Amino acid sequence: MTLPIPTDDAARAALAGEYVLGTLDARTTQAVNDAIARDADFAALVADWEQRLAPLTALAVPEAPPPDLWARIEQQITPPSPAPRPARRAPFSFQWVWRAWALGASLAVLLLAFLPMMRREAAPVMTTILLADANQTAWEARVDPTGGIQLAALASPGGTQIDTAPTGHDLQLWALAPGEKTPVSLGLVPRGQHAVQIATPPVRPVPGMLILISLEPPGGAPGALPTGPVVFVGRLSQAGPPT
Amino acid sequence: MPTEMTELADLLSQVAAKNRDALRAIYTRQSTRLFGIAMAILRDRNAAADVLQDAFLKIWNRAGQFDPSRGDPAAWLAAIVRYAALDAARARGREMLSDDPDLGDTPVAPVALEQLERSEDNARLHDCLQRLPQANRDGIVLAFVHGLSHPEIAARLDQPLGTVKSWIRRGLLSLRECLA
Repeated sequence: MTLPIPTDDAARAALAGEYVLGTLDARTTQAVNDAIARDADFAALVADWEQRLAPLTALAVPEAPPPDLWARIEQQITPPSPAPRPARRAPFSFQWVWRAWALGASLAVLLLAFLPMMRREAAPVMTTILLADANQTAWEARVDPTGGIQLAALASPGGTQIDTAPTGHDLQLWALAPGEKTPVSLGLVPRGQHAVQIATPPVRPVPGMLILISLEPPGGAPGALPTGPVVFVGRLSQAGPPT
Repeated sequence: MPTEMTELADLLSQVAAKNRDALRAIYTRQSTRLFGIAMAILRDRNAAADVLQDAFLKIWNRAGQFDPSRGDPAAWLAAIVRYAALDAARARGREMLSDDPDLGDTPVAPVALEQLERSEDNARLHDCLQRLPQANRDGIVLAFVHGLSHPEIAARLDQPLGTVKSWIRRGLLSLRECLA
């Protein structure tokens, strides 16, 4: 049920222009799409209009997309591969952080569905979910209005309860501010604890900040930087209105 | 800017060869501009983010179809984002929106044409748009920049639908003649 494309020159030019302008309804748009595919002259008319009107796109006010959008795109163009298994005591690598983030991003959507059941009273100003590989547990980080960070382990959708660091290791918490190259330690996650409160973090939490948990030797990383693999990662964003 | 054009065209040819870093470089340079284009049409950050994601997958798959001899790579990218945003606007029922009582809460004004950057091409488009009667010009800008449909433009300009349709059509044909 394709609509006829006019043969009259002016009518063809006007239809191509309206297509580029975007005023055609869905059905006519589809007919024009078909015409572009089989009628090179008509396709050229459309291309001319695109170039002609392109300067008008400068009238749209530029705006930064959400910080996790590139990770979403990258995840879709990356062929599926087994989750990276970092070598023990592998040097700290941001590539790994991004890969973990990309892996976990879709899981975040799933987990968010479980969140409303876990809402506590004080409305946080920023939140994120820290994720590892699929089927693993996650942590929720919340920033309260005074700038304190609370971390709480979430039960995974499968019902598996969280676990802490494997024997002989500690989990260490880090914050990486947007644009920074090195994270700042927020301290260790106390063994066996499912919640941590950092009342006055050494860096001010801001939207876009990455919150990381790395696996470290007992007592934490010997230096100022993580030495073990990053096992959880999440990016702070503004919390929605309290529900 | 010619160097920016050449660099973008070069990056697109690398994307055609499935170079992810090149796509990332395009994202870094263009995502703020392109997200703004989607936002002007959709006025909803979540919907605009979905559209930009979809558009970058199209860029990934279709970069080989870009022909540098036929035009500006920035315009090619913008067209992909605009069509994706317009499709999303149609899918959420743009055609019905003219009855939406909330539409008045998000005033969409035709943007001042003075904001067009002062390049030669833009100056010609600017001059040709200025020669149109204001209603024709406003209709074209509301449609192109904000993705309004004919019924929405008719409601915005408080004119009968048929009148608006013929204004825009005549405006386009005069523009074409003026720019030829």
